[in-house]
Amino acid sequence: MVNKYVQTARLSALGQTNGGILYLLPDILLKIFTLIPLIFLWRAVMSSGAEAGMTLEQMVAYTYISALLSDMLVVQTAASGWLSEGVLLRLYNRPLSVLGQLAAQTAGGWTPMLLLFSLPMALLAPLFGVSLVPASPAFFLSLSLCISLGFAVDFLFACLSIKLRNMNWLVGRIRLAIALLLSGTLIPIRLLPFGLAEIMKYQPFASLGGAPLSIFTGTADIGGTLLLQAGWNLLLWPAALLIWKQSQEGMVSYGG
Amino acid sequence: MADRITLKRILRLWGISARLDLAWLLRDTKYAIAGICADIISNLSTVSGVFLIAARFGGIGGMSADEVLFMMAYSTLVTGIFILFGSGNNIHISRIIGRGQLEHLFIQPLPLGVQLLTSGFAPFTGGSNCVAGVVLMAVAVSRLGLAVTFGWVVSLIAYLLATMTIIAARSYLLSTLAFYAPAAAEEISWTAIDGTWFMSTFPLSGMPLFIQIPLLTVLPEGLMAWFPSLSLLGRPPLGLTGAYPMVFALLIAAAAGYIFRKGLKHYVTKGSNRYVPYGFRR
Repeated sequence: MVNKYVQTARLSALGQTNGGILYLLPDILLKIFTLIPLIFLWRAVMSSGAEAGMTLEQMVAYTYISALLSDMLVVQTAASGWLSEGVLLRLYNRPLSVLGQLAAQTAGGWTPMLLLFSLPMALLAPLFGVSLVPASPAFFLSLSLCISLGFAVDFLFACLSIKLRNMNWLVGRIRLAIALLLSGTLIPIRLLPFGLAEIMKYQPFASLGGAPLSIFTGTADIGGTLLLQAGWNLLLWPAALLIWKQSQEGMVSYGG
Repeated sequence: MADRITLKRILRLWGISARLDLAWLLRDTKYAIAGICADIISNLSTVSGVFLIAARFGGIGGMSADEVLFMMAYSTLVTGIFILFGSGNNIHISRIIGRGQLEHLFIQPLPLGVQLLTSGFAPFTGGSNCVAGVVLMAVAVSRLGLAVTFGWVVSLIAYLLATMTIIAARSYLLSTLAFYAPAAAEEISWTAIDGTWFMSTFPLSGMPLFIQIPLLTVLPEGLMAWFPSLSLLGRPPLGLTGAYPMVFALLIAAAAGYIFRKGLKHYVTKGSNRYVPYGFRR
């Protein structure tokens, strides 16, 4: 049974390169060309000498790891294209769990970018003064909780798009915009001004990318962060499964 | 027979697009309002990231927090104008080419360029970011105590026009690939426009020259908001003339026009392979 999911993941990984590896080149270059100026942006910002509670090295490592693991830090499955891309029919025609397929497809889809972007950039990390050794092994547990929560959040948004029918593209757009700010993958939550940091650290998006990144750089209260991540997982997974079950009757697909 | 193209005719064509946009808003108000909200949230999320950093650290690389706000206002205005005039994939041109939809334009009694210029105008559902940009700009100008003269407003319009020209020209330049590889390059204009947009919100002040120069030439993200903003604040960066974005816009537009025509010639000779004979898209 597990092999079927592994094969689904493999097919998804191969599917990304159907047009040839060169087809992925623009996305890879885009990631590189965004990451490098972003590192120098942080250098310019932190050179002001303002108290940030983080060193420049920690900030650069935070940004670097965020780029390398971006797909995992805010999970996005094919469910976002439920209706318009005809994902539904494909999933329901196979003798496998729909959510299981989505998870396998998504994880498989990460592979090409991990091999073609993350791996080479990991090898180049010392050039940017970034150490790839996490400050605590708890990072790996936190990353797992982050990915797990990412799937739950994604399934909840998928249910919302089922409810709102042809607004699924808009739901996806709003969700990406919210995640960009609230997940802490771009700006560490602790650096938000106007007292936002204290409020924002408890919302569920903060338990996505920002949590493992903070643990990686040694700037988080490990126990509290893991507890919060586990709590959101325990809360949102049952909710996602329940709402998912109720939503199935309302599915409509028009894409292909 | 094709109409004679005058300014009046172009305004009438914009009017037709505006009427269609209004009809959509009235027919499917709930969806249209959701779209407007998505546009605003998406843009504000992009620009607020950099502004929050500036606010937290009291500025970025020699630019004060208010100057960064001014830059974000400029960026929002550009996004607003883009959505206002580019809501019909007419700037995301690789989608039209890649999907084999250029033929739809060939059968209209209007030159291709005029159709592309006027078909994406959406003032009712696409104007929200423009309004947000104007409001943000007013706030930033007021906080900076800038003297808004007639000449300054003309400069602002000229910079916005240059930025829009660069965005459209780069998109058309890269989208030429879709004439040769319609499926693989269908979304290349997304990469050229949306994929790079976040980078264009970076204030490049304080960054080393080896980052700044590529971002003003090969990958002109610095011309989308940073350079024009500093020029409008009276200090064009790197000792360059304030007219640099306009010169760059002319050069890239000329290059894009030449290359795009070559691609178009290939397309009208070879056609598109995206449709099978019974109508489905490959």
